[in-house]
Amino acid sequence: MSKRTSEAARARIAAQREALRKQEQRKRITMIVTIAVVVVIAAAFAAWSMRQGASEKVAGGLAPVTVQEDGTVVMAKSGVTAPVVDVFEDFQCPACKQFEETSGSTLKNLAAEGKAKVVYHPITIFGQEPTKGNSLRAASAARCVTDGQQWLAYHDKLYKNQPSETVTGFTIDELIKWGKEAGVTATDFDNCVREQRNVAAHQQFSEKTMSTQKLTGTPTVKLNGKDLDTNVAFVPNSLRDAVESAGK
Amino acid sequence: MVQLASGTSVSERLQPAKPALSWVTTAARVVLAGVLIVAGALKIGAPALSVQAVRAYQLLPDSVAQVVGYGLPVLEIITGLLLLVGLFTRAAAVAGGVLMVAFVIGIASAWARGLRIDCGCFGGDGTLAAGQDPNYFWELLRDFGLLVCAAWVVVRPASRFSLDSALGFTGERETTDEDGSDDGEDDGA
Repeated sequence: MSKRTSEAARARIAAQREALRKQEQRKRITMIVTIAVVVVIAAAFAAWSMRQGASEKVAGGLAPVTVQEDGTVVMAKSGVTAPVVDVFEDFQCPACKQFEETSGSTLKNLAAEGKAKVVYHPITIFGQEPTKGNSLRAASAARCVTDGQQWLAYHDKLYKNQPSETVTGFTIDELIKWGKEAGVTATDFDNCVREQRNVAAHQQFSEKTMSTQKLTGTPTVKLNGKDLDTNVAFVPNSLRDAVESAGK
Repeated sequence: MVQLASGTSVSERLQPAKPALSWVTTAARVVLAGVLIVAGALKIGAPALSVQAVRAYQLLPDSVAQVVGYGLPVLEIITGLLLLVGLFTRAAAVAGGVLMVAFVIGIASAWARGLRIDCGCFGGDGTLAAGQDPNYFWELLRDFGLLVCAAWVVVRPASRFSLDSALGFTGERETTDEDGSDDGEDDGA
């Protein structure tokens, strides 16, 4: 093999290595740029997502809350009759707890601002134990609370202490204890809960509500009688916008 | 002169070796990317639902479910975008494949434990509507198919219509192999 070919070969190898080095460099730069872009995009998405998930704080006082004859509970400033936000919920349903944690404060604020009449409809959707029994005990206990503000405090307490769907929870003793903690003063509350006086009325109410409202699950949130999409109901600022524009 | 025979030009060697197969990679990339982007986009706007859908699996402690609920849609969209434009294809496909493995495990375990949930893959809070039955078989089949797509892209990351090939790097293994053979030539010289 001549010296010349070998030199040419060396030159080619050198050129080849140079090209590879350039490519490596380009790759490194692209990598850095890509990572930077990905970080920026991810941060922007995350920030937006956090805002979509952020709950309101209950700003001031609550609107008057009144327990109705049929078991529903109305929260509205006096004279506010529209728009109506109906909340169909089950104390044992995890998604209802999530709705309460996410958007509950928005509903309280909207009612307090006089921008909505909020109606809670506690029902029992579960047909199997232990969830059915848990739900029935909790909802019938809530019916033992006659004062609206106390009912709402009890309602929040029940969600905060919601048992897992796989265990027996909402025991009578717990339900009485939480009533005390929520400031329930109704006479005979203890006995009302212990004897589960309202189970039959609640069951009847549940069945009737589910069939007349054509509910497919809980939580169902209706705005002026129309189902709100979960992508609205579970996004506090979207919920607020929907209710406010319905009131205009 | 093995080195001369094996490597005539760098740019030529970096082209995908088999055109037909590189089209398959393009297809696998786009399918996986499309599903990931759609799934992420449908969830990212309602993180409370996304968190609830994660909780419905009853697999992760609450704080972790919170992080996954918020983070997963972002991860899906980013991974999908990288796959779609074909940048760092292999790494993105690995990420996509890991996601699919996680989904398959999650759904299979929900099925095995007898839970009655919606996979929450494309939004929703994971609960089934009244009268609706779980769809575990089809959900698993879909995610398994996507896992196959991801695996294909990991094995053959070089593809058409990708930034990787436009920029001259078609997947890391090829480049490393070339580095390796060059070193070999050095020793021989």
